[in-house]
Amino acid sequence: MLNETAKLGTGTEVTRHLRTDDLTRDAAVPRAEGALTLRAKARDGQSALAAYRGAGCLKALFPRGRESVEAIVINSSGGLTGGDRLDLDLAVGAGAALTVTTQAAERAYRAAAGEARVTSTAQVAAGGMLSWLPQELILYDGAALQRRLQVALEPGARLLLVEPVLFGRRAMGEQVRQLAFRDRIEITRAGRPLYTDALRLDGDAVAQLARPGVAGGMGAMAALVYVAADAEAQLPRLRAMLPASGGASLIGADLLVLRLLAQDGFALRQALLPILDRLSRETLPASWRL
Amino acid sequence: MAMAAPMRMSMARAPMPIDPRLLTLTQWLSPAYPLGAFAYSHGLEAAVQGGQVSDGRDLQAWLEDLLASGTGRNDAIWIRLAADPAADLAALDAEARAFQPSAERLREADRQGAAFARVTAEIWNLDLPPLLLPVALGRAAEQMGMDPGAVAALYLQGFAGNLVAAGQRLLALGQTEAQGILAALAPLCQSVAEATEGAGQGDLWSVALLWDIASMQHETSEPRLFQS
Repeated sequence: MLNETAKLGTGTEVTRHLRTDDLTRDAAVPRAEGALTLRAKARDGQSALAAYRGAGCLKALFPRGRESVEAIVINSSGGLTGGDRLDLDLAVGAGAALTVTTQAAERAYRAAAGEARVTSTAQVAAGGMLSWLPQELILYDGAALQRRLQVALEPGARLLLVEPVLFGRRAMGEQVRQLAFRDRIEITRAGRPLYTDALRLDGDAVAQLARPGVAGGMGAMAALVYVAADAEAQLPRLRAMLPASGGASLIGADLLVLRLLAQDGFALRQALLPILDRLSRETLPASWRL
Repeated sequence: MAMAAPMRMSMARAPMPIDPRLLTLTQWLSPAYPLGAFAYSHGLEAAVQGGQVSDGRDLQAWLEDLLASGTGRNDAIWIRLAADPAADLAALDAEARAFQPSAERLREADRQGAAFARVTAEIWNLDLPPLLLPVALGRAAEQMGMDPGAVAALYLQGFAGNLVAAGQRLLALGQTEAQGILAALAPLCQSVAEATEGAGQGDLWSVALLWDIASMQHETSEPRLFQS
C-alpha cells in the first residue's frame, strides 16, 4: 500500500486510493454512484444543450466556441472499482450534434468485491449526430468491470463511436493477470439491431491476449463504428491509414466498422488520432490532445 | 510432425446406436452439401498472406481461438437459440446479422444460410426461410427433432474441417497433417458445444479479434482464392 501510494502522482489517484481503504471496511456498499443526463437539440441552425443533469460522481464540462455541443464527462471518484455504478443517458435531437468525451483516461482498478458497472444509453433523432469519443479505458490487474453502451438511431441519424481499451499500462510494466471484463456495444436503427460488439475477458488477460487469433500479445485495442452517408467514401482512405494490425469494413451501405490492435496505448493513439480527426472533420475534442 | 495424439477410445466395443437423425445431420454438415463452403476461408487467406499463419501449428492455434472464443462458440449458441421452438426467428436472425464483424463474414454466413435453407427445405419439406447459416441450421434441426448439442458439435467439426481444407490450399500442408489437426480439434468442438447449453443472447461474445481483422483485410487481398 505504501509503495502504491508513493507512486501515485495525481490528485485523482490519491482520491481513489482513499476510497480503496473505505472499501475494505464495507464491501457491500456501492462505492461510487453517478448519473449523467445530456440532451442536445438544434436551435437557430446550431446545436444547444437542452438538458444537463449530473448526480453523484458524474458531471460534465462544456467548452465554448463549438458548433456542436461538446461535453467532457468527469468521473470525480477518480476511477472505477467493485460496486461502482455509473449511468449515462444521452439524447440528440433532430438536426443537432453532440460530442461526448472524457477529461482523461478512465481507470478500472482492482476490485476488492463485486464489479463496477457502467451503462450508457443514447438516442439520436433523424439528422442528429452523436460523436461518442471517450478516451482510453485502462484496465488494471484485478479489475472487474461490466460496460454496456446502447445507441438507438432513428433513420437518418449519424454516429461516430470509438472505444479504446488498454490492458494495463505497458510502459510501466503492468500485467493484467486477473480480470473480469465484459464490454457490449449495441447499436439499433429504427428499433432493429444494426451492429453488436461484445467482448469478454475473464482470468489471465495476458495469456488470452497472447493467443495468435486473439491479439497476438498486443495490449491495446480500439473498436470504431461510423454510421453516415459518406461511410463508403471514407473506407479506402481509412484502410490506407491503418497499420497491419487493423482492419476496416463497410458492413452496410452507411455502416463502417474498424478494429485496431496495438502494442500499447501510445501506438494505439498514434494510429487512432488521424482516423478520428478525419471522421470528426477535425473537431476532435481538445482533451484528446493533452 | 509432432502433434497432440488424438484420443484413442478404449471403448471400441461399446454400443454406438445410430439414430437416423444423425445420418441426416451428417449429410447436412458434409462438405458435399451444396452450401459453397469451400469458397470461404473466414479471413484465413489474409492471415496467411500477412504471415500470421504459416504452418500447421499456427493453423491449429488459430482454429482453437476461433472455436473457443470466436465464431465457433457463438455459432453454437445461435444454433441452440434457433432450435428453441419458441424462438422469434426473424429477431434472432437480425441479431445474428448485427453480430457479424465484417462485410465478408456477413456474406459468408448469409449465402451459406440461404443455400442451406433452400436445399434443406425442398428435400425434407421444412418451413425454412433464408436465414444466417447457424440460425437456419438450428431451425431445421428443431423441425427434425434433433438434439441441439449434437448439432452444435458436428457443426463445429464441419466448420473447422472446412477451414483446415482451406489451410491445405493456402499452406504447404499435407493431407495427413491436415487430418491430424482436425482430429486434435475434435475434443474442443465437443466441449464448446457442451458448454453452450443453456446460453442466452447475453452470453454471445468474441475475442478472436485477429480473425475479425483478417476478414476485414481480406476485402482488399490480391490475389485471392477465397471469397472471405
